[in-house]
Amino acid sequence: MNWNPSSKIIVQGITNTLGSYYTNRMKAYGTNIVAGICAGKGGQHLFDIPIFDLVEEAIAEVGEVETSIIFVAPDRALDAALEAIAAEIKQIILVSAGIPPLDMVRLLKVAQATNTLILGCGSAGILIPEKIWLGTIEPHFYTPGKVGLISRSNSVCYEVALALNKAQLGQSIAVILGKQRIIGSSFEQWLEILDRDNNTEIIVAIEHSNSHISPSLADFIAKKIQKPTITYLAGLAVPIERNFIDALSIITAQVSYSVPATNQEQKTISAWQKVGLKLADRPSQVPKLIKEVFSSF
Amino acid sequence: MDLLEYQAKELFSKVGIPILPSQPIADTRQIKKLQIPYPVVLKSQVHAGGRGKAGGIRFVENTIDAIAAAQYIFNLPILGEYPNVILAEARYNAREEFFLAVVLDYQLKLPVLLGSAKGGTEVDLLLENMQKVVVEEEFSPFYARRLVTKMGLRGKLIQSVSTIVEKMYRLFVEKDLDIIEINPLGVGADSEVMALDGKITINDNALVRHPDLYSLYQENSNFSQDSQSLPSLPSPQWLDCQDESGNIGILSNSLGLALVTWDLIARDGGSPKCCLLIDRATESELLPHYYIARGLNLALEKLIEVRDLKVVIVNILGNEEITQSATSAIADYLELLQKKAAAKKLSTDEESEQETHLIPATPPLQWVIRIVGGQTDLPEAILTEMPVRWIEDLEEAIGATISLAKLE
Repeated sequence: MNWNPSSKIIVQGITNTLGSYYTNRMKAYGTNIVAGICAGKGGQHLFDIPIFDLVEEAIAEVGEVETSIIFVAPDRALDAALEAIAAEIKQIILVSAGIPPLDMVRLLKVAQATNTLILGCGSAGILIPEKIWLGTIEPHFYTPGKVGLISRSNSVCYEVALALNKAQLGQSIAVILGKQRIIGSSFEQWLEILDRDNNTEIIVAIEHSNSHISPSLADFIAKKIQKPTITYLAGLAVPIERNFIDALSIITAQVSYSVPATNQEQKTISAWQKVGLKLADRPSQVPKLIKEVFSSF
Repeated sequence: MDLLEYQAKELFSKVGIPILPSQPIADTRQIKKLQIPYPVVLKSQVHAGGRGKAGGIRFVENTIDAIAAAQYIFNLPILGEYPNVILAEARYNAREEFFLAVVLDYQLKLPVLLGSAKGGTEVDLLLENMQKVVVEEEFSPFYARRLVTKMGLRGKLIQSVSTIVEKMYRLFVEKDLDIIEINPLGVGADSEVMALDGKITINDNALVRHPDLYSLYQENSNFSQDSQSLPSLPSPQWLDCQDESGNIGILSNSLGLALVTWDLIARDGGSPKCCLLIDRATESELLPHYYIARGLNLALEKLIEVRDLKVVIVNILGNEEITQSATSAIADYLELLQKKAAAKKLSTDEESEQETHLIPATPPLQWVIRIVGGQTDLPEAILTEMPVRWIEDLEEAIGATISLAKLE
């Protein structure tokens, strides 16, 4: 993964409310947005960015594009992403939230076959503080530094960033995976990317508890990730029903009219403890654990 | 959105999944005009499960029985839900009952076919016999045959049941379903099959491209309490957990943030009671100012109606637009509360004094407001004259909330 300020970015759905609002601000932040796509508005300009009817027309004009940020309506997002993949764009950020799951299934199959990185759906994108802004993360919550953040939820990531800022710990990157039950790139993929990222010295993985927290993530971090990694699992003390993600549990819950009682919290915590990984239980604990790691060097 | 049984069966019938002759009834008087010969089954059309055990299914032999049973069912709530429709259906003697379902496995990111040769209401037996086939590549009927042979079916049943699975799969994909389930699939004397009951859950986000299903959605949403809540409107949502013994209410603009807030309060010895989310209004869409304001207003009105709350913590993070809209909406609302309180005080002062001391004095609701992400502040008048604290730091806000909730 190579994010640099000269990377060329396009925005699909540049003229809708969310798309135009953030395109304008991303451009002002310095993001190199070279084209916008909106069928029917080709030839026009928005914030001095040329608009094209098709992705391939944009690429014919501006050359190879690294990333597309997609803001289109959820029921049209699959089509937009397939258009970007057909134009050989290798990184796609799906800001559109609530893409029908079967569309995601189809998209992820194509993405795998074409080696395309998909972030989202429902992702707030990527931010490299004071360098690159791709998506809807609010940059003023972040300061530049060496801590890499990977989070499912945008707002929980803000909380961690605020806590880090207070402790004078800046961030190298923030990546928001998206909250939907079915998403493209996973914690595992991004942990590996940040493990290789020269600007990141320590990684924080932030998950919240109504999504399924897989105990295997702890194993993965322990075995595959070289850099010190801290996990913050938000909401473990909240008595909320967990979303089931595997077919058998979904159906079991449905036919028995009740949720099978599981002690997921304890299982999750012990999975982390077993492999000796640091687990934060509140945002303000993240900087404390990071300082412990740094002082042990 | 969950379809009711009779709506699910309409979809079954459209793709050629056999169903019994049946007739939805919205009014007891319609029983007299029943087109189905007796004996008949009357089934309460509710979303809640377990209606058979709750008494929502009745077997009747004639019109007089049927009218009495229909009246009974219309007046029988199942998990708090009254039916608007009863389905009258012919009776069927099944030799065997199977369970069939198609569902998306979010872990595998693939659709999965499920089947049990022990369908019906014995859940444990059903689950013990559950078989699973993952649709790894493009669907082809052999996946369905693989499932039914794993279920132990042989002979004619392989073809007749796998054809049903095939049709279910087609519906699943064409209509963007989250779940499609037939339980039980009845098997008759001559191995013919019949969908006796079924459940369909449609993916809410895909409703826009299925106008036929969207009209069902509108029908069903009339049944629910929130008849105003169309998908695009920011109606506040209760977080799916409540603690009756709690005394703190939470209002937040994202699920993640709500979980963090509840989590910290609970860990530090406070007791949250309930939580409202207005995330749709602020997260995935960019909505005009008045939408956020309206969402917040609705949420605040719902919150102050909750009994036994001592403190409300508002925790909102976002961009300049969201934080400004939220701050001014909250300021407006608190001003309104203040005026109401003043008016009430005035009127009770004027009334006879002996009445006032009979009413136990309830301490005013305390507010902790944390809105971060923009240059905003509440008006000085509210902060000085009302029980309102404006705190930007998360830990401080949590601490203040807990200690206010513990005050006598």
